Amino acid sequence: MLAFIARRIGVVLLILFGSSFLVYNLEAIAGDPLAELRTSSAKNRDFLMHHLIMQLQLDVPPPIRYFSWLKGVLGVFTGNPDLGKTRDNLLVINEISAAIPVTIRLVLGATILAIVLGITVGVITAIRQYSRLDYTMTFISFLMFSLPIFWVAVLLKQYMAIDFNNFLASGQITWPWIIGTAVVMGLVVAGLISGDRRRVITLFAGGFVATIVLLLVVNATNWILKPGLGIVGVGLFAAGFAVGLTSLIVGFENKRVLYASLTVALTAVIAYFPLNAAWDGKSMNAAMLLIPFVLLILVAVGAVFGFTKVDRGSALRVTIITAVFASLFLLIDRLMTTWNGYINADGINLRPIPTIGEVSVRLSSDNFWILLMDGLVHVILPTVALTLISFAGYVRYSRASLLEVMNMDYIRTARAKGLSERTVIVRHALRNAMIPLTTLMAFDFAGVIGGAIITESVFGWHGMGTLFRAAISTQDLNLLMGVFAITSFMAVMANLVADLLYSALDPRIRAGK
Amino acid sequence: MAKKNKAAEVAATEGENAIALHETAGLSQGQIIRKRFFRHKPAVASMIALIFITIFVFSASGIHLGTEAHPITIQGWWKYSLTDIPDTNFCETSVGCPNADHPFGQDPIGRDYFALVMRGAEQSIMVMLIVGLIGGLLGTVIGAVSGYFRGWVDAVLMRFTDFIITIPSIIIGAVLGFKFGNLGVVALAIYLGLFSWTGLSRLVRGEFLSLREREFVDAARVAGASNFRIIFKHILPNAMGVIIVSVTLMLAGAILLETALSYIGFGVQAPDVSLGSLISEYQDSFTVSPWLFYWPGLLIISIALCVNFIGDGLRDAFDPRQRRRITRKDLLAATFKKPSSEA
Amino acid sequence: MTISNEVILKVENYNVEFWVDGVWYPAAVDMNYEVKAGQVLAIVGESGSGKSSSSMGLMGLLASNARTSGSVKVKGQEMLGANSSLLRKYRGKEVAYIFQEPMTALNPVYTVGFQIVETIRTHFPVGPAEARKRAIELLAMVEIPNPEKSIDKYPHQLSGGQRQRAMIAQALACDPALLVADEPTTALDVTVQAEIIDLMRNLKDKLNSAVLLITHDMGVVADLADDILVMKDGMTVEKGSADQIFNRPQHPYTQQLLAAVPKLGFAATRELAAPAKPEPVLKLENLVIEYPKRGRIPAFTAVKDFNLEIFPGEIVGLVGESGSGKTTVGRASIGLIPVKSGSIQVNGQEIAGAKLSDLKSIRRATGIVFQDPASSLNPRLPIGESIGEPIFLAGEAKGAELHKRVEDLLASVELPRSYRNRYPHELSGGQRQRVGIARALALTPDLLIADEPTSALDVSVQARFLDLLLELQDQLKFACLFISHDLAVVDILSHRIAVMQNGELVEQGMRDQILKNPQHPYTQRLISAVPVPDPALQKAKREASRA
Repeated sequence: MLAFIARRIGVVLLILFGSSFLVYNLEAIAGDPLAELRTSSAKNRDFLMHHLIMQLQLDVPPPIRYFSWLKGVLGVFTGNPDLGKTRDNLLVINEISAAIPVTIRLVLGATILAIVLGITVGVITAIRQYSRLDYTMTFISFLMFSLPIFWVAVLLKQYMAIDFNNFLASGQITWPWIIGTAVVMGLVVAGLISGDRRRVITLFAGGFVATIVLLLVVNATNWILKPGLGIVGVGLFAAGFAVGLTSLIVGFENKRVLYASLTVALTAVIAYFPLNAAWDGKSMNAAMLLIPFVLLILVAVGAVFGFTKVDRGSALRVTIITAVFASLFLLIDRLMTTWNGYINADGINLRPIPTIGEVSVRLSSDNFWILLMDGLVHVILPTVALTLISFAGYVRYSRASLLEVMNMDYIRTARAKGLSERTVIVRHALRNAMIPLTTLMAFDFAGVIGGAIITESVFGWHGMGTLFRAAISTQDLNLLMGVFAITSFMAVMANLVADLLYSALDPRIRAGK
Repeated sequence: MAKKNKAAEVAATEGENAIALHETAGLSQGQIIRKRFFRHKPAVASMIALIFITIFVFSASGIHLGTEAHPITIQGWWKYSLTDIPDTNFCETSVGCPNADHPFGQDPIGRDYFALVMRGAEQSIMVMLIVGLIGGLLGTVIGAVSGYFRGWVDAVLMRFTDFIITIPSIIIGAVLGFKFGNLGVVALAIYLGLFSWTGLSRLVRGEFLSLREREFVDAARVAGASNFRIIFKHILPNAMGVIIVSVTLMLAGAILLETALSYIGFGVQAPDVSLGSLISEYQDSFTVSPWLFYWPGLLIISIALCVNFIGDGLRDAFDPRQRRRITRKDLLAATFKKPSSEA
Repeated sequence: MTISNEVILKVENYNVEFWVDGVWYPAAVDMNYEVKAGQVLAIVGESGSGKSSSSMGLMGLLASNARTSGSVKVKGQEMLGANSSLLRKYRGKEVAYIFQEPMTALNPVYTVGFQIVETIRTHFPVGPAEARKRAIELLAMVEIPNPEKSIDKYPHQLSGGQRQRAMIAQALACDPALLVADEPTTALDVTVQAEIIDLMRNLKDKLNSAVLLITHDMGVVADLADDILVMKDGMTVEKGSADQIFNRPQHPYTQQLLAAVPKLGFAATRELAAPAKPEPVLKLENLVIEYPKRGRIPAFTAVKDFNLEIFPGEIVGLVGESGSGKTTVGRASIGLIPVKSGSIQVNGQEIAGAKLSDLKSIRRATGIVFQDPASSLNPRLPIGESIGEPIFLAGEAKGAELHKRVEDLLASVELPRSYRNRYPHELSGGQRQRVGIARALALTPDLLIADEPTSALDVSVQARFLDLLLELQDQLKFACLFISHDLAVVDILSHRIAVMQNGELVEQGMRDQILKNPQHPYTQRLISAVPVPDPALQKAKREASRA
């Protein structure tokens, strides 16, 4: 196993070496830092040109320059990496270190969301092949494949940000929106559950009415301006997850697991007030956000060991996922209570959804929650834009993969053994269908980094993409190489991780046979 | 034992699929695929739409090739060109815009927007087709050689492919586009194509690896066929399905990549026009003059969507494993047929 | 074998139909039969007879475009149209399936033990430890070596025979009343097949389960079945006890089917006229063929020290099981595989290590017929082109003259001349194999290599094919290396037989001598493992081999 990894890393390093060499020389030839000066009519033009040549070592041929750059990069092994200086004499490595977290923040949420949502929808449409839902989702994902992200981003900026901010002035949903949303929800409900014409109409009507009632309640309680789940909301959602996950993974009849996961939900409810008190304290920091996660996961494990004696593996899966989601609900609830304070804060002035930047510059607050809210709110739009594009790929790929698996002989054997359809799909089919998806995740990750370049430009974030564009426009070779080195390294690592995941999941490929 | 498996498998499929033979009697593989493609309605509609758009766009704006220094032009049927600036700009205010004279409106300087959009679309489609051609050729050849000859040839080519993969095409596009952008759209397309073939080559390699194990390849070899003949006459026609489908997807990706590059300024450069650069220029004014923003975007989406649907239709045509779902109507309409008594 | 009176499976007026593009096609029509505890009912038929579909449909295991009607009662409980929870209770517990291809029928990502334990715990409320113990017991019962270790192995880590045993263990996990075995031994070597059949017989006796055996192999039927039901094109053609069907078949189809089955030891005598030239057409001397090291897979010696001579006009049958190297020898003899050392001479000319250009001269002297009709013809070319390719590439003819020669070849293999422009997918398996012969004989070779040409064909189609081959050989007098795992087929054709095991030539000699008086223990084992399609003879043979 280790030999395998070592060999792969060796190949990877060779490839990185080669590609960085290529890019370095390409850019060195393609870009002419002296171009501007050549056309300048300044009196000390020659002096400036000479100075620039000295500064950037332009008299040395590019391949040789490459090696001195490489020496700097290899300094990472001795703890002393040196990526050179930018044209403005800043350390490249500092610029990049500041930019990476920004880009990761941008990209991470979208990737996770795209994977989770994409695979879920893909699996559902595969199970309900040829249904109305399937055809609709197929069309929608085709549409998403064809969307240019920069165009979508501008639309999002207008409708989700500017218009939303306008709408916040009143905080009341208008009737056209209520009816419109109700129609859409009715259609979704009717599409999800199959049935004949009469049932479809009943489902539509039910969804329609329920949505209208819900939205009227939202208006009445002024929920848009003062949202919150409350202890009841958190409890209901957590319990819902507990029951749903139990039914899905082990079957509703398994009462022990059900009790264990409901215990987790109950703990979330009990912890509600003490937790919020702790979170309101002055010493609030990022680490304290993890409290409910740690607590509930411990409870999850404890409950499993308390309630069940056998099959702890699947029980743990149910309870731990419930714990994670219950903690998320607690977090979301707390964030919701911050909302009102945030939108009324100085510097925000009832226009909370921003279109530019990672943080609001005019916000002056040291309240942890307000700052967190600010960061989150800035990440919403780019995340939505990026997710829209990646999501479609996951839907199609997981759907195709699951459909192929469902035609296999071993699925028929599983049915012949008397397993329930749910077990057949979740335990036998899904496990095999997910294996090829790891390769997609690797490719997608690499693609997302490329997509970040566009997104940062549209939304004005100062991450790696911005650095990259600056590097090209100003012919800054060192900066460009720095960005390239990091991004290609990450892409290649993603590939390696995907390969490892693949062999971990598929016993036929594991080292040995 | 593997032989016996195959034997049994063949025997099993023979029987039940004899029924499917009813509809394919007397037709070659190519004809069968064409028949299946035409049954896929969205794909056919997309194909018609795409052909229409292409012809419309190209004929409207005329052909403009070559570099700035040596242009080659053929005039189109639309009355305004890129550089005409009419005296009156109806679109300074949104009233009276768009109108019959300027169906897409006018830009802030007064140029006819329809001409601009057609030009941009023409550039994008041209890039798309050239990238598809070059990427398709490169990917097929590299994948074929790699998969057929295996051994060290395969190892070298695959390392080379990995090497190209690690360079995100947007970076190369940006680097080269910035410097060589003024060489024209064709140059942009060529070097985009030079870096977009990697996915296709992997697929083709896989197809060749499995096809070369088929017995008819051995039979051809025994009959004295050269490697060249085997690759081009025997294996390649059987791999066409995968190739065609991949190339169509590549086309869709190409147009999105080109417009994205143009958007951030590294693709098609001024004074030439691309749908991406139009969107970039006018993105802020879209509340005031929405036509400036919507038309290029809608055109990009339509072209990419059509290509994607065609690709889906082709995929279904080459590999139809689905059967249409039985509906209640079919159950009611079915009559139980007695088999013929012929043994 | 005790047959009690309890009726486990009762099938009445049972129909299965498939919906394809708007029309319902019948797969099984009006079936009526019953199986009692301890009884084995074999449903026999060729491909397309509907035997598999009808058996899958008993417990609702067909695809969604199928529909069933009639009555299927398991222990008195109606299965057709039963709600899914009832069906699930019976599946695996009362009725268990054994499928044909264990590599794909077992989930590759779970261990064999996990899958057996899963079956047990689905139907019985036992804990994992107890279920695991039972699983080990089951694995021991099916005679898998080292059950405690094997239980944690993945399917791809077991051999084919062991996989099938594991499948049987899984099927028997809940002591089912009815065992449905769908071509359980078709994918196995003949010696392994004999062991599995023995295993099934012993288990059936021990557990007194009813067995529904679906197969096309009459030898297996003769070895195992108490009663037989013959199907053709979905219709039940004849029904009766094993003795009745084998010895006094009534329906012409049954008679024809039985006549087509090759019976080992009953073939007509084969006389070989003295060859015109005493030089062998094919001479293999000290042949060693090795598959080179690929990545981490070490080099594998497929053929060791092989010696064989084939003289003009004679048919030599090369027999062996999978992995014996017989296919490798065949392919090397025609220049498709490089050899490590040794010599291959065709008509006196050395081809081992020869370059492609040198091989041109032997192209006309050799031809090969492949096994798999689905992949031996290029699906994109009309068959006329496939047949004509050797002629065209040898530069012997083109254009209209080529067409004429192709048509003559089609006529010689008894196919209509107009088929020249048809595509492979329009032909049946048997027809495609004939096209294969036509292509192989296009340049009237001296040596024909036939690589398992009938393994993929139905029994009656196989019989016609073998007749054709004998006729052509009689006419054209070519020598033939006939490679097969099926001793009975080799018996019909060959003058001489050579037996291979693990890459080595174990025994060779005149046909009758080998079959009646085998010297090498492997040959003896091979011959005793082949089931004879006659129940009385097979029973005698079985008891003789046990002694």
